[in-house]
Amino acid sequence: MAPRNLEKQLNILDYALSSLWRRRMKSLSVLLVFAAVIFLLASFQMVTQALTDKASQVLAYTPEITLQKMSAGRQEAIPLAYRDRLAGIFGIRRVVPRIWGYYFDEVRLANYTVMGMDVREMPEGDRLDTALAKGTIPGPEEQGRVVVGQSIVKALNLDERNTFSLFRPDLSLKTFTVSGAFSRDTDIMTNDLIVMSLADARDLYEIPAGLVTDLCVYVANPKEIGTIARKISAILPGVRVLTRPQIQKTYQVVFGWRSGFGSICLLAALASFVILAWDKASGLSPEERREISILKVLGWETSDILAVRFWESVIVSGLACIVGMTAAYIHVVYFAAFLFRPVLMGWSVLRPDLHLVPRMAVGNILLILAFTVVPYLAATVIPAWRSATVPADSALGG
Amino acid sequence: MIIECKNLTKSYAVENTMVHAADTVNLSVNKGDFLVILGHSGSGKTTLLSLIGGLTSPDKGQVFIDGVENWQQSDRALSTMRNSKIGFIFQFASLIPTLSIMENILLPLSFGENPAGSRDLALDILDQVGLADKGKAFPSQLSGGQQRRVAIARSFINCPDIILADEPTGDLDEETERDILALFRRYNEQGTTFVVVTHNSDLAATQKDARVFSMRQGVLSGQAA
Ligand SMILES: Nc1ncnc2c1ncn2[C@@H]1O[C@H](COP(=O)(O)OP(=O)(O)OP(=O)(O)O)[C@@H](O)[C@H]1O
Ligand SMILES: [Mg+2]
Repeated sequence: MAPRNLEKQLNILDYALSSLWRRRMKSLSVLLVFAAVIFLLASFQMVTQALTDKASQVLAYTPEITLQKMSAGRQEAIPLAYRDRLAGIFGIRRVVPRIWGYYFDEVRLANYTVMGMDVREMPEGDRLDTALAKGTIPGPEEQGRVVVGQSIVKALNLDERNTFSLFRPDLSLKTFTVSGAFSRDTDIMTNDLIVMSLADARDLYEIPAGLVTDLCVYVANPKEIGTIARKISAILPGVRVLTRPQIQKTYQVVFGWRSGFGSICLLAALASFVILAWDKASGLSPEERREISILKVLGWETSDILAVRFWESVIVSGLACIVGMTAAYIHVVYFAAFLFRPVLMGWSVLRPDLHLVPRMAVGNILLILAFTVVPYLAATVIPAWRSATVPADSALGG
Repeated sequence: MIIECKNLTKSYAVENTMVHAADTVNLSVNKGDFLVILGHSGSGKTTLLSLIGGLTSPDKGQVFIDGVENWQQSDRALSTMRNSKIGFIFQFASLIPTLSIMENILLPLSFGENPAGSRDLALDILDQVGLADKGKAFPSQLSGGQQRRVAIARSFINCPDIILADEPTGDLDEETERDILALFRRYNEQGTTFVVVTHNSDLAATQKDARVFSMRQGVLSGQAA
């Protein structure tokens, strides 16, 4: 009985294939739309997943607490002396001063992020070495030496030369020598970054001695971040105390908003796809009713006709999945998800170089399948139940 | 007894009046019989074939094929019965336009063991209806009479015990009609049972020992004079 049943399923599969082939234009258009939807969903998923991974990498390097001085609601330089006033708080591992700001390159119309801090002072500063594609992180005594991100390398043509100059506020030039470059894997954080010593940053921005832009506080026990932050606020009124969990939340809000916006677009695409699938695949035209009736007269059962529909749908959606997922992978890996760039990253001049490492979570694949294949199967097979209501004798008359 | 109809009744409501398409029809058919049922248009001939073939369910009465009542079995068993025991020749065009002639003919075999020889068998039957060269053609490329002959060929493909034929020679020229009726006779002499409904009162004469009935407003009456 079993081999006979198998034979029957193979015959049904054969019939399904040939009926797909008979309607090849229609089948192909459904397949393409279907693959496009899966492509969008899968690309989107891979990109957001990759960005989330990046964001958590970034956070790993973020100090537990950042202090900024506020005046009239705006940030201004914070005195280095504040450091001493924190000495009494138990649980603080280290306080590292930092000068960071933006530099607008008027020639190339690009924004760079400048970070001046003595990296070796960071508790895990050594780990930064692993983020370098080449070169080394300069020591605090090495004046004028910097580590740059990949887009800086490109924008300033640093593959061919080793030095570049930036303007001080008084328009005099300060020259830097490249000591190392960050690897692509840390792009999201380092892409437009120029890391230099505290003294160089002070010189570049002409910040008076004794002042920095912020103080990074490293704590011994992450569980105490909240308590320590409260104590700092009490000791230093007028200082904004940013904790890592707060920053994390901000990231999540930004990503959440962006992916929310994307999700709405995708939902719209999905809805129109389901409508199309319904429209394309479900309707029982008079010809189809006639065909079903003829098949019934010749001894096909309703379940056989349903099986044909089912196999047709499985073939179409299976092919669409393979095509869509493959295209999404290629899109994200080889074309750096260029379609989603504007939505996800904003239109920064520097961002297009961002290198993403796509990750496809199994749960998300299943989710995508649940959102595409299942509605499609439902949209094609369920209406085929209507074939059960086609009387077998309806083809007998005229 | 291969076919037995007992008090078979079927009515349709057409614009507030009941049309009796089959009215207490009683009929017994033995294996190898050749039945000819004559009747005017609208007398219920197609309805009767459809009832016998288990395509239409009766309002009252029963149809037994090989002793099994059609509507006492599952959809599956009924479909299998239709597929294996009955060849149906439709009154009107019944080919699937998007399938080639060969594919149309092989349709009833889709669920059999599909012996390797089925294509040869199909070619042989196509040859018998005079269309050996049309296997790859599509229905739209054939004349009405040629399509009719393909449908006839299809009804024989699964070697059924019973052929139910609805006006099988309606659109054939005389010579082709003669060939087809000779084909029927050959199959009949080998034991296939035929129930043929037609307007053509000369048809019975071409067959051996044909039993002739007439139908009028759903009522079947015996051997016509
Ligand atoms: N599905 C249906 N719904 C309503 N009425 C029907 C249906 N099928 C048949 N009838 C009616 O039953 C009667 C018998 O129809 P049937 O098709 O059996 O006639 P027939 O003898 O085959 O006629 P013809 O020689 O024109 O083919 C007709 O009056 C027809 O209108
Ligand atoms: Mg009729």
